[in-house]
Amino acid sequence: MRRRSEPRRLLEEPRRFLSQDQCEALAQRAMRFATGGGDTALYIDTWWSGEMRWGRNRVTLGSDRRNNQLTIRRSIHEAAASVRTNQIDDVSIQSAIQAAERALAYHPTSPEDIKDPAVHFDYLSPAIWSDRTFALGASERAAAARALIEPAEQAGMLSAGYIEVRGAGRALIRSNGEPLYAPYTQAQCSMTVRDPQGTGSGWAGLSSYDWGRIDGAALAQRALQKCLASRNPVGIEPGRYTVILEPQAVHDLVQYVVRNFDLRDIAEGGVHPFALRRDFSKLGLKVADSRVTISHDPMHPDLGVVPFTPSGEPVRPVTWIDHGVLTTLAYNREYALTKLYDNLGYPNTLSYQMSGGETSVEEMIATTKRGLLVTRFSNVSYVDPVSLLLTGVTRDGLWLIENGKISKAVKNLRFTESPLFVLNSIEQLGRPERVFSPGVPAIVPPLKVKDFSFTALIDAI
Amino acid sequence: MGVSRRDFLKAGTGAAVLAATPRWLAVHAAPGAPLAPPITDPDVKPLALRALDAARSAGAAYADVRLTHTYTRSFEPYHRTIEEAEEMAAGVRALVNGYWGFASGPYWTPDEMARLGREAVAHAKANALGAARVVELGKVPVVADGHWETPVEIDPFTVPVDEVFDYLRGLMIYTAATYPGVSAQVACDFYRQEKAFASTEGTFVTQTLYRTGGGFGISYDNEKYRTDDRLPTTIASPLLGRAGRGWEYIREAPLREEVPILMARLEEDWRLPFKPIEAGRYDVVLDAHGVSMLLASTIGAATELDRALGYEANAGGTSWLNRPLAMLGTEPVGAPLLTVTGDRSTPGALATVKWDDEGVEPEPFTLVKDGILADFQTTREGAGWLAEYYTKHGKPVRSHGCANAPSALHATMEHPPNLAITPARSDVGLDDLIAGLEKGIFIAGLTVDTDFQHLNGESRSGRFYEVRNGKKVAHLTGAGMLFRAPGLWKSLTALGGAKSLEWRSATMPKGEPMRNGAFSVGAVPARFKDVTIIDRTRKA
Repeated sequence: MRRRSEPRRLLEEPRRFLSQDQCEALAQRAMRFATGGGDTALYIDTWWSGEMRWGRNRVTLGSDRRNNQLTIRRSIHEAAASVRTNQIDDVSIQSAIQAAERALAYHPTSPEDIKDPAVHFDYLSPAIWSDRTFALGASERAAAARALIEPAEQAGMLSAGYIEVRGAGRALIRSNGEPLYAPYTQAQCSMTVRDPQGTGSGWAGLSSYDWGRIDGAALAQRALQKCLASRNPVGIEPGRYTVILEPQAVHDLVQYVVRNFDLRDIAEGGVHPFALRRDFSKLGLKVADSRVTISHDPMHPDLGVVPFTPSGEPVRPVTWIDHGVLTTLAYNREYALTKLYDNLGYPNTLSYQMSGGETSVEEMIATTKRGLLVTRFSNVSYVDPVSLLLTGVTRDGLWLIENGKISKAVKNLRFTESPLFVLNSIEQLGRPERVFSPGVPAIVPPLKVKDFSFTALIDAI
Repeated sequence: MGVSRRDFLKAGTGAAVLAATPRWLAVHAAPGAPLAPPITDPDVKPLALRALDAARSAGAAYADVRLTHTYTRSFEPYHRTIEEAEEMAAGVRALVNGYWGFASGPYWTPDEMARLGREAVAHAKANALGAARVVELGKVPVVADGHWETPVEIDPFTVPVDEVFDYLRGLMIYTAATYPGVSAQVACDFYRQEKAFASTEGTFVTQTLYRTGGGFGISYDNEKYRTDDRLPTTIASPLLGRAGRGWEYIREAPLREEVPILMARLEEDWRLPFKPIEAGRYDVVLDAHGVSMLLASTIGAATELDRALGYEANAGGTSWLNRPLAMLGTEPVGAPLLTVTGDRSTPGALATVKWDDEGVEPEPFTLVKDGILADFQTTREGAGWLAEYYTKHGKPVRSHGCANAPSALHATMEHPPNLAITPARSDVGLDDLIAGLEKGIFIAGLTVDTDFQHLNGESRSGRFYEVRNGKKVAHLTGAGMLFRAPGLWKSLTALGGAKSLEWRSATMPKGEPMRNGAFSVGAVPARFKDVTIIDRTRKA
């Protein structure tokens, strides 16, 4: 990987995480301890995290945390073994190498190990570093938290929330390949505003690599408004409803679809939502509404991810679902080499964007005779992984829509529904926007969906 | 003689650690040398005090420091894989004008300890610029120099790797050779955490905690009996789980004797026909496993005081027991036969310690007494939030010792202690409860999902059997259990006796960033009346 110039901010300050030079020096030291031939690889995640947490309108903890996670992998012939440590002194590293070599002696084969040191990959340079994020110190975070709490407190409500900024480096350094290193930042901000009697609750949150792209004041207003508007909800009968899902609610469901873009499970005979039958996938078949395209371009300014996988594969642009047709399922390089006579896999980073339309949420409401507006889903789990049937509950704001208008706040409901059904029952799509998805950025539209299945009333708020 | 981590620990600067100077480079440790001094080494305490001095000098009204050194090792004998991990961490917490700051990192050096002390105070001060906040720490006796270790018979890290593999593979070979057509799946893992705690109040304690986990199950497919593809061919033994014990936990389990028992259980299952579930209300019997999972997810989570007061609102959620002072001593949360205790001194349990992560020696306490909410899980700060109730009832304002963190990298927060249901006085067991069920459902191995107030829930997994006249007569396909926690616990009609008490491991995620606290749950089988049973796979 071409060495990129270090972010300016990193050069000016004392280190909060290991640099590329430090990671490479560390790996050089580690490799000297290896005995018995074979290859050595170090995968390093080194990070600093600045955090601010509040509850009941007061900051409860501000923290600064740092750590290095080293995974040291030794491989000889077909065997491979790895050991983890967070220490970087010689004694620790040598001990870890010895432990890996001891494990190696027991571990007969590892088909995943590919030996072709000559291959060179081109890696993308996504936007994943922000000086603004890395520079957000304790006092700025405290000031930000106070500004976020204030509107709720003035309205007599209770705010609880969290701000986190992170600066980190990810490195893969191998005895049989070029060294890889990528510095990156992450920022997240979310809050829940409740009324003191516990009869209403509102939430808002956003994540980005860049703290500057998170409008805290807007989030605070949104969480407060949702709290105020959700108070004293009335119970309604569960059943099938037309639902207007805000982007976060869509993400809470569609991320389960994205997680299942996996070819290998199917090739190995697994039962799977994208298996047509045993050993056959649904590639080339229509799996969603024609207006649905799900893709990921790491070079999109809001969808950047570290451009290599833990095994050193390049992350590349991919279209999973193209106008409703399943076009790609993820596989790794080993599968590409052995089964497809290709040299590159399609890693699934779980970061994605989903296509949308031009209908605003307000228009969706105005065109709905009877339906529900959903802020987000929570406590989601699988009922049936094969059909992707999920269950979970609505949270932090659910409203009944009658004759084109929000008529009242309603009590939360449990749903039993498949996101694949949702993607085939779309009436309207809105403008895609960034959602709260720390570390795995996603851009998702609001949707109006018919016949969404709610199976029980829940009275938790 | 090489440079050990003891030299490292005494050595100067954090910068040297990061840069790894050539002096370190040239050195090789002697084979077999201990990786780090034990936590009782006299050099550890000065290191801890260094952090406290730095915090105090920087203006902390109170500070505490934790050092943790955690090893894990896991074995999977089929592929002969061993996974090992080591983590060292130091974390300092400081209180300034009622606001907390925390700083942590991976290095145990004097300079780093001082940095962490200063950093924690800087964070507390940054927060303290806002509106005033009062933190009253419940009083605890100072322990000047204490050490405790989980009592284990065999430190699992001293057992040679060959011996562990031989034992596990021996079980696989024995099973395959003795019972044709049966294969055994077995695995185990070990955990050791050495930790030190020191506070500006003068407490300094060290502990070595052990945990051992294991899994054992069989795969068996006898065509003579197994008539339907939907019937399971694998079954896990309840004998192994996770416990605060050593290698003896695996060695003492009668796993060879368990194979024919598991086979018989599978064959018994295979003889039963399938029946689609008819949604409705049924009398239900749960085994001890199901009761422990239900307890952990409902009352266990709901009596975490920080959840109840709304501090977890933006993370795992709040609690249906959301007005602690008004509800204590009066709120019915279950039938009168329900009593639930919390205890971090239960031998062999996962949350068992001598001192918690605030240096408090936990004592057993009662969360639910005869069906009425009696207490919450507390830390030192949390005990103060209930001072009004405790004082009114002549109880000391004292932490129940529930402060906990996975390691010193994480700030402490309240996590559940070991929980237990008080068994019935009679000698009733699971079989008796099923035998007493004229018409109803028995659920084996229930697990549940709840909402963000731990109030409403649905079964996630479990095998549902129709019971007629005390006998299992059919498998119920697609069945699920839907419940509202207080309603379900109020419908409790019978509990098993002391002999039927079983311990299970549980975790309950919380916090931002999210982390898990491990604890054990002791439960007995139970019978409930009029439970809502649904077809879980059916949409509206």
